[in-house]
Amino acid sequence: MALYLLFESASGYALFHAYGMDEIAQDTQAVRDSIVDLNRFGQVVKLTAFSPFSSTIDALNQINAISEGIMTDELRNFLELNLPKVKEGKKAKFSVGVFEPKVGSHISEVTKIPCQSNEFVLELLRGVRLHFDKFIKELKPTDLEKAQLGLAHSYSRAKVKFNVNRVDNMVI
Amino acid sequence: GGGGMKGGSKVTVVPHRHDGVFLAKGKEDALCTKNMVTGESVYGEKRVSVQNEDGSKSEYRVWNPFRSKLAAAIIGGVDNVWIAPGARVLYLGAASGTTVSHVSDVVGPTGVVYAVEFSHRSGRDLVNMAKKRTNVIPIIEDARHPARYRMLVGMVDVIFSDVAQPDQANCIDSTVPAEAVFASEVKKLQAEQFKPAEQVTLEPFERDHACVVGGYRMPKKSKPAA
Repeated sequence: MALYLLFESASGYALFHAYGMDEIAQDTQAVRDSIVDLNRFGQVVKLTAFSPFSSTIDALNQINAISEGIMTDELRNFLELNLPKVKEGKKAKFSVGVFEPKVGSHISEVTKIPCQSNEFVLELLRGVRLHFDKFIKELKPTDLEKAQLGLAHSYSRAKVKFNVNRVDNMVI
Repeated sequence: GGGGMKGGSKVTVVPHRHDGVFLAKGKEDALCTKNMVTGESVYGEKRVSVQNEDGSKSEYRVWNPFRSKLAAAIIGGVDNVWIAPGARVLYLGAASGTTVSHVSDVVGPTGVVYAVEFSHRSGRDLVNMAKKRTNVIPIIEDARHPARYRMLVGMVDVIFSDVAQPDQANCIDSTVPAEAVFASEVKKLQAEQFKPAEQVTLEPFERDHACVVGGYRMPKKSKPAA
């Protein structure tokens, strides 16, 4: 049974394929050791697809949905385009590991793509977080942090009801 | 207006034992950090400008231990704060960002501070402070629910947590001595694979507060061969 991993980053959605993890999965310590070293981790986890967000507004819409456990149309398209097709009335031969179970159940409900979220998946996603910018060719060093910075400002400015698109003048 | 401590030109600044932290020596010693945004105070703190040997000037901001628990822990003699130049820090309970601004100075342009604060009122100050300090990533979200802000953070070297819990220290049971509360909190951390290394109380700057430093998932020490 194939295992994919969904990683939601500030730059876009990414899908990874985890290989031959069954034997390692028996030993949590072995998984932990393997995620730290990119040479080892890169052998068991490979990038399947990456879809960068189209604009800052798109990115803000995506994070607003993801933080509430909701799958957007863009995420649905990304998953259906890049995962093996699930035939009508048949059980999928793969599952998708997600960080948070709520978005997983939303995905499963709407698309019939089976999702799971458990300690093992979280451990693998921890490895993805550690090495993410090295998996994505389009991302130069510091690009991801710039995306996090921009998105954090839009997300947080919306929360405190500042204008997300411009820097407010301080009114004292 | 105007920065500078009393004594003006007599003030000298020397590096503190902790990398990225400094000590201004004038009439009285004061903890300070090297200002990333020269000419500006964040919360009305004093600034000290000193001339370097090569004639250039450096500006430092005074770090008040009565206003910052991290500063209180440093003055209290904590052995290692792990927050140093280039470090990536997840700061939980950022409030208005007064301490975060000093952490931003310490980690410098090659470091990052993910600063999480839930209160919108202090969050506004935090977001405004972060506009001028691009190594601070402001996150207005509930620190206790990392899934909600998972898209905004990367892997970090250090977590600093100062999140007010409803059951914090004295609020749990004011009849229990603070030390007993500290001990039970440390037990909770140990249950989460956190290995405590040191603990300092924040007296005389904060009552019934302690700073606990430790490592997450520390590798097991192999027994020395017999």
